[in-house]
Amino acid sequence: MNDPLILYASLITLFLPVAGFALVTFSLGRIKKVFIGEISLMAVSLLSSVYILIDKLFLHPGVTSVFEFSWISFATGTGNQPINVKLGISVDSVTAILMFAVMLISFLVHLFSVEYMHGDKRFNRYFGYLGLFTFSMLGIVLTHNLLMMYIFWELVGLSSYLLIGFWFEKDSAADAAKKAFLVNRIGDIGMFLGILILFITYGTFTFSEIFAGIGSGKLPFDSEGWLTAAGILVFLGAVGKSAQFPLHVWLPDAMEGPTPVSALIHAATMVAAGVYLVIRIFVMLTADAMVFIAVIGALTAFISATIALTQNDIKKVLAYSTISQLGYMVMSLGVGAYAFAFFHLITHAFFKAGLFLGSGSVIHAMHHEQDIRNMGGLRKKMPVTYFSFLAYTLAICGIPLTSGFLSKDGILAGTYSFGLLTGHWLIPILGFSVVLLTAFYMFRLLFKTFHGKPADLHKYEHAHESPFLMAMPLVVLAVLSVFFWYGLNPASPDSAWFVSKWIDVPAKVVPESSNFSFMNTTATGGESLYNAEYTEAQHHAHFPTMIMSLLFDIIAIGLALLFYIYFKLNSRKLAAALPAVYNFSLRKWYFDEFYNGVIVKGTLLFSSVLYAFDKYIIDGIVNFSAYLTKLISRVSSAFDIIFVDGLVNFTAYINGFAGKHLRRIQTGKVQTYLVLVLFALLTLIILFKP
Amino acid sequence: MGNIIINDLWSFLKPEIFIAGGIFIILLADLVIRDNRKAIHFTALIILIAAFASALLQMGTESFIFYLGKGNNHGLLAVDPMSTFIKLITIFSTILIVIFTITSEEFKGSKFKSGEFYTLLFGMLLGMLLLSSGADLIIIYVSLELLSLSSYVLAGFIAGSNRSSEASLKYVIYGATSSGIMLFGISILYGLTGTTNLYAIHTILVSPHVNYLTLGLSILMIFIGIGFKISAVPFHFWTPDVYEGSPLPVTAYLSVASKAAGFALLIRFIKVGFISSVGTNGFWNFYENFDWQLFLIILSIASMTVGNLTALWQNNVKRMLAYSSIAHAGYMLLAIAVLSEKGMLAFLVYIAIYMFMNLGAFYAVMLVANKKGNEEISSFAGLGYKNPYLAFGLSIFLISLTGIPPTGGFIGKLYLFIALLDGDMYWPALIALLNTVISLYYYVRIIKEMYLTKALDDTTIETSKTELTFMFALVAPILVFGIYFTPLVNFCTNFVRILGF
Repeated sequence: MNDPLILYASLITLFLPVAGFALVTFSLGRIKKVFIGEISLMAVSLLSSVYILIDKLFLHPGVTSVFEFSWISFATGTGNQPINVKLGISVDSVTAILMFAVMLISFLVHLFSVEYMHGDKRFNRYFGYLGLFTFSMLGIVLTHNLLMMYIFWELVGLSSYLLIGFWFEKDSAADAAKKAFLVNRIGDIGMFLGILILFITYGTFTFSEIFAGIGSGKLPFDSEGWLTAAGILVFLGAVGKSAQFPLHVWLPDAMEGPTPVSALIHAATMVAAGVYLVIRIFVMLTADAMVFIAVIGALTAFISATIALTQNDIKKVLAYSTISQLGYMVMSLGVGAYAFAFFHLITHAFFKAGLFLGSGSVIHAMHHEQDIRNMGGLRKKMPVTYFSFLAYTLAICGIPLTSGFLSKDGILAGTYSFGLLTGHWLIPILGFSVVLLTAFYMFRLLFKTFHGKPADLHKYEHAHESPFLMAMPLVVLAVLSVFFWYGLNPASPDSAWFVSKWIDVPAKVVPESSNFSFMNTTATGGESLYNAEYTEAQHHAHFPTMIMSLLFDIIAIGLALLFYIYFKLNSRKLAAALPAVYNFSLRKWYFDEFYNGVIVKGTLLFSSVLYAFDKYIIDGIVNFSAYLTKLISRVSSAFDIIFVDGLVNFTAYINGFAGKHLRRIQTGKVQTYLVLVLFALLTLIILFKP
Repeated sequence: MGNIIINDLWSFLKPEIFIAGGIFIILLADLVIRDNRKAIHFTALIILIAAFASALLQMGTESFIFYLGKGNNHGLLAVDPMSTFIKLITIFSTILIVIFTITSEEFKGSKFKSGEFYTLLFGMLLGMLLLSSGADLIIIYVSLELLSLSSYVLAGFIAGSNRSSEASLKYVIYGATSSGIMLFGISILYGLTGTTNLYAIHTILVSPHVNYLTLGLSILMIFIGIGFKISAVPFHFWTPDVYEGSPLPVTAYLSVASKAAGFALLIRFIKVGFISSVGTNGFWNFYENFDWQLFLIILSIASMTVGNLTALWQNNVKRMLAYSSIAHAGYMLLAIAVLSEKGMLAFLVYIAIYMFMNLGAFYAVMLVANKKGNEEISSFAGLGYKNPYLAFGLSIFLISLTGIPPTGGFIGKLYLFIALLDGDMYWPALIALLNTVISLYYYVRIIKEMYLTKALDDTTIETSKTELTFMFALVAPILVFGIYFTPLVNFCTNFVRILGF
């Protein structure tokens, strides 16, 4: 059932933002207030996405609308299979929810930016870039094939590059933009290879056709190992885009961009694109690929949480927290908690966008101060910002009554039951320790920023609550961080509507032999996807999970209180007592140093070797061949003078081959032409005489 | 009987009837309308659009018209998908040429007699329409002459221009000789088979009693007339001189429409006269009488190589485009030389795109020449800064003519090479590829002149909004087909069939 209204609404949602970009670009600075036009287009786009959301969640739940057309088709008959590349969109509840989330956050960020970016000399262009980004992101969400996914994937990379380096006069911003772009390329190469493997095997880019191909038993190079490889290679794209270990190093640097951009792109939407990609290819992941993904996710979550403990830049703390939460989502997909991964993607998008906008509000009020050591006591000056920030912090820590509790507990329960069933206990252990770390560093951030005594009295005096356009998005996002938007029972993740109503977990298509036995679909093909063993394990996992995560939260918050409010414990002394551990975290596990030392230096060394090779060997060959060429050209010029010039006079009569000489045939005399035609005719008759 | 003929005429010959009637209407209008010359342009446009629409409506119909009678079920004209496609191409390019004419500087002022011009243009078009359907050597010859005679006059249409008159005279002499030889060939073929109808010749050639030497002689002599029309090497000598001397709209017209009609004749001549059947794999099976494939390959390779190499040295852009059109005739000839349905498809796709890009290039050159008064390459210096829109459009046309993605020209070449590889013609494919590389040099030379060379003078090259809009209307299909070509290819697939085969 393909409702054309859905198609039109999707196209409107998709193309209005890029129309805004075109509007800003082609006004060429001639219209002063052109950003208002761009924001109006975004508003219409938002309304249109609301329509799609209502249709997909309430009017026609469970219906997937697919619209496609054939872009390239070669009906090559002889031997090889026909190539048919289709472009198209597919709208289901996952798409609708994510589209709405992207549009809503994008719209709020637009409003926030009107005040935040006020007075910037490239003010209008900034909104144009936001429009371009929103378009690209919606393209990723809507597409039904890997080719368009890849194209839009690169487009978000481009707009992210433009926005990180928006203040390109600052060297650090320009460097960060380059770093983000290059690091992402590494992941994208893997993704590209994965797409190619799938394309040459199945002759199509369309997800559903690839899955149907796998379901019918056709495997890349007839091997399950290659199917695992294809899944992991495509996942590498997500490793880059979603800043997973070991390619996570670009995201903290990307904080050089304007803070609302960090909220939109580097917290809520673009970095979630990687998770979305894994959601799309989930059904073709083999057991090995899933374990790989889960381990990468768990490591990412843990490493970045430990780094966040010691950072002092408010945006850096949030950046590492984002990486950590993205690791959660990836890990969740790896352990098969499909619906919870998407659930967490959405709840995280709202509260993390809120955290960034809140930090933007603080930074704005403190006149571009970002170091939390220079803040403190802002609670009284900025009550709206403080209370909304508190709400987000509770949500990210997974305190009951918040949205984060529902989604996070679901993920933790998933890892727990995965550990029960497979014995991979490392994943839940890392997952639970991250709970402890998260609660600690988030409350550290909250206390140091808003509580205690102001560290910089001068800046504190001038701090003020943000204007309406900045405060309003904070409140909206804070309200969205409360449980009742997602389910009526605040204590039961399983009864959240995401899990129970909106998201249908798709059946896996991989061969049974390369799937987890407990994830094989029951032959009856009923509603329940996984067999009883898995359902049972998940059921068992919930209660211990809830208790443990609450316990860890209480411990962590208590510690944070002791450290930063009551000063019973001294963090400096602790750091001084354990310098190695402290520095390891502060210097971010020395990733940047390692990459610089090994990869960048190595590349440079390799290139200098190549340079030497070039200089001494290639240049030698080149010089020698140049010498040879010169020699030949001397001979040839002698030949030219003696032979060719002599021939020129005859070229009117013979069909020569060099262009310069051919031209001489064109004498301009029609009699000559006719003689030549008759000559040609005679030649042909002799040639083709039977 | 008479009733049937009239019914047939009306069902299958509407485009021809519109154009023939159009000649009278234009003549009358020219007498009646004295002051408002625009009205004549628009009358011509309306007639052409009606003819185009009627050609579209007869898509997919197949029939003979003017049956020979006496138990003979062949006719003088054959209306079929292939001829309909060529009719669409020729009528559409005529529409574009009318728009060229309206904006041309050469045709401004009181000396330009638009009534006469359109009468001749329509005469030429009528010749092409009949030629693309002609199934009998007599009607083929007559329509070829109608086409040629009109074009001789059009080539010399600018009264008082020596260049133009010289072009016209050369064209007449050259054309007369070619058509004389062709007529000679036709008479030999008639003597050999006793009929002038191609379909009847087909049935007679099945018997092995024909003298192959005489047959080969007549084929080659007839081919002189065809080679003259499509300006294939070595029958191309008239092309550069005539193209350079003629008014630019006429040059553009000759390079597209008259070539398309010539190719239609070639395809029907070969496919109807000399193949025994179309195989299930789409390849054409031949009688053992003449090596068509080798013959066409030699001519096409000669055309593209000579055309491209000579174009390298031209300093007049119009003359350069003349040689480039010889080279493109070579590519299209190569598509036909595959002698398969896929080759036909490649040809149809190629010529449809060629129409847009070649006419577009000529139009952009005309806009420059309008202001500069000549088409020397130095006139294009600095155009990228003087008129960025015009320079951008011309660059797209040139890039497309080279065949670089994402333009339509690439798609044309892509299908050509697919057909070549499908027919195991690796060497011709390689040579065509090398030729494409050579052509890059002279096409890009113009782009280089526009963007990298400083202008010698301060003259501005201004274009009106209408002119730019029209030019971008030609750029648009090239870019669209370059990215999304499936509809075009599907459209062309409907037109591969030829009556009886």
